[in-house]
Amino acid sequence: MITITNLSKNYGKKDAEFTALSDVTFTIADSSTVSIIGKSGSGKSTLMHIMSGLDHPSTGTVVVNGVDLFTMKPAVMDNFRASQMSFIFQSFFVEANQTCHQNVMLPLEIAKVPLTKRRKLVMEALEAVELGEKASNLAGSLSGGQKQRLAIARAIVNKPSILFADEPTGNLDSTTGEKIMSILFDLNKRLGCTLILVTHDADLARQCGMRISLKDGRVASVETVPAKKGQQ
Amino acid sequence: MFIIDILRRSIRSLLSAKTRTILTAFAIAVGAFALTLTLGASNGAQSYTNVIIKDNFDPTELIVTNDDAIFSTTDESKPKVYDQNFGSVTSAGGTSRQIRMLSDSDLTRLAQVSGVESVRPALSVSLQYITRDGQKKYVGNVQSYSAYKQPTLLAGSIPSNLPDKTIVLPEGFVPSLGFSSPQDAIGKTVRLSVRKQFDQSAAISSLLSGDTSALTTSLKTAPTANEQNFTVTAVTKKPSTLIQPGSALNLFVNEQELVKLNDYTTKGTASYHKYLSAYVKVANGGNTTKLNSVQASVKKEGYGAQSVLDTQKTITQVITVLQGIVAVFGLIAVVASVFGVVNTMYISVLQRTREIGLMKALGMHKKDVKRLFRIEAALLGLLGGTLGSVVAVVAGTLLNPVISRQLALGDVRLLEFKPTQIGLLIVGLVFVAILAGLLPARKASRLDPIEALRTE
Ligand SMILES: Nc1ncnc2c1ncn2[C@@H]1O[C@H](COP(=O)(O)OP(=O)(O)OP(=O)(O)O)[C@@H](O)[C@H]1O
Ligand SMILES: [Mg+2]
Repeated sequence: MITITNLSKNYGKKDAEFTALSDVTFTIADSSTVSIIGKSGSGKSTLMHIMSGLDHPSTGTVVVNGVDLFTMKPAVMDNFRASQMSFIFQSFFVEANQTCHQNVMLPLEIAKVPLTKRRKLVMEALEAVELGEKASNLAGSLSGGQKQRLAIARAIVNKPSILFADEPTGNLDSTTGEKIMSILFDLNKRLGCTLILVTHDADLARQCGMRISLKDGRVASVETVPAKKGQQ
Repeated sequence: MFIIDILRRSIRSLLSAKTRTILTAFAIAVGAFALTLTLGASNGAQSYTNVIIKDNFDPTELIVTNDDAIFSTTDESKPKVYDQNFGSVTSAGGTSRQIRMLSDSDLTRLAQVSGVESVRPALSVSLQYITRDGQKKYVGNVQSYSAYKQPTLLAGSIPSNLPDKTIVLPEGFVPSLGFSSPQDAIGKTVRLSVRKQFDQSAAISSLLSGDTSALTTSLKTAPTANEQNFTVTAVTKKPSTLIQPGSALNLFVNEQELVKLNDYTTKGTASYHKYLSAYVKVANGGNTTKLNSVQASVKKEGYGAQSVLDTQKTITQVITVLQGIVAVFGLIAVVASVFGVVNTMYISVLQRTREIGLMKALGMHKKDVKRLFRIEAALLGLLGGTLGSVVAVVAGTLLNPVISRQLALGDVRLLEFKPTQIGLLIVGLVFVAILAGLLPARKASRLDPIEALRTE
């Protein structure tokens, strides 16, 4: 469970101060699918960064499974992120001069997964995104959609309990986008991992169990749809 | 992250920018090369010194003079007042220095100093000639045989006390004196001749007495040849190292024979039974404290005394200074390469900003990020250090025979490489590289993942 209470984020100092988030409060149940929607600049990415502990709020708390993120020591927070969370970024952020296998292995290295268990996990993740054949190819040689799938493989390899995705389909054509979303929803179904999507795409948002709409850094609406796509 | 994962990532990063890696490592290699050669030369010079000293001096002996002047530098700008008790030694450059000679009573006094085993005057007698029946006459120089020297023998043997009328012949004389082989010379007789000096005091007394007949005969027959027969007991091999090149031809007889020869040549002159220096053998002189305490006692008696340790120290000091100069250049190269490492590491951090951001976002510890770049720097140091020292060792090993031949050093190798030293040098360079990588590594570890991921 993720509980967000009175979260605010200000950028800049004094005269130039800008409020990116203000008084955001909501709760996300375990294994739910959540979409965060809103116009560009409404604070979606900022919220996602704070929820994942990458960024610090100006005020407010984020409590994940009973632990307040911002009272943790940095090293503990790192371990927490490495073992519980993963990310898919808007740009793929795959390392072009490393192989697909090496790219997907990164979270396992960081989480100190024993060397002997890694290969199996990596291949599983690659096969889930249908990149099993490309394991030893350089990531740089992949197409855009394949790169995004690779990023997803990297995000799911460590079986996270929370997966953050910032516009995972933003750069993709609709068919590829749908394919990727089906992989993510499937993951949610199979492993029960909480899916938090930042998106512009209203269709995509509609498939999620919970919709948080942001406007100028404030929560405009929170809709909880009864499980439609088979969650819970 | 496990160290093995960090190491693998560092290696991958270095390999992905091969040219940059090689050029940076090359800068370190230059320093490593210079320092390896310096260390090699330092070892070589040290062992060369030790060999020279071992071949030429008995470490249990002190070299004693009547005063300290010979061992110290004096003010050369003013002329010195003449003292008739002084012998005069002309040193290089024409400046003359007055050295008070040792007399027999000095030798007796020295022998009574506690801890002294024996005293022998330092004598070297120039022969008029050495020859053998049917052979040419050759000039030569005779010294007393000291058991310490333990020369390599080509033939014959040397009893612990060289008997009277026997001589140790260096191999250089073997063909000249008409021997077919060193073995051929053993047991054969050679003739040594020393020149009698013109006896001034006898001449003056005969002039004063008015009876000049003795003087006339002496003048007519002078210089008196005094040939003596010696039996060759051993032939020595030319030593590999020598302080003076000519000393390879030194002939050796026992102490008493040498004194007799010396007395004969100096009789009637101011240097009769006067010695420039003497060798004082210290009981248990191998023990440094014994040697030093006897040296102190001898000095307290008013004599000048030097031990092999002093000589060694002096030579070592000179070598150290020379090495210091080369080492400084090596260190300058290392310092320059440090900037190269800093630069390379900063570029590496900059190029991998996004990767670092991602790794931090995925929960990589700050200290692991730091480690990643420190290991990368360390690998640069290791690569450069190994490259430089290996090239230096290979070059040195190939050049050694050439240098030895050019400088006529004999069997001595001027460059002597010690694996432990080179190992330490490489470790040192790795350490320096890590230091150079500290700031870039810190920069990397402090990157804000959000900022880092924003960079395109
Ligand atoms: N580091 C920062 N310094 C100052 N202002 C910032 C910073 N990061 C974000 N902002 C501002 O905060 C606001 C919210 O930004 P955010 O990136 O969360 O928007 P977003 O909803 O993700 O927009 P988009 O859909 O375009 O990605 C924006 O107005 C942005 O200019
Ligand atoms: Mg955004």
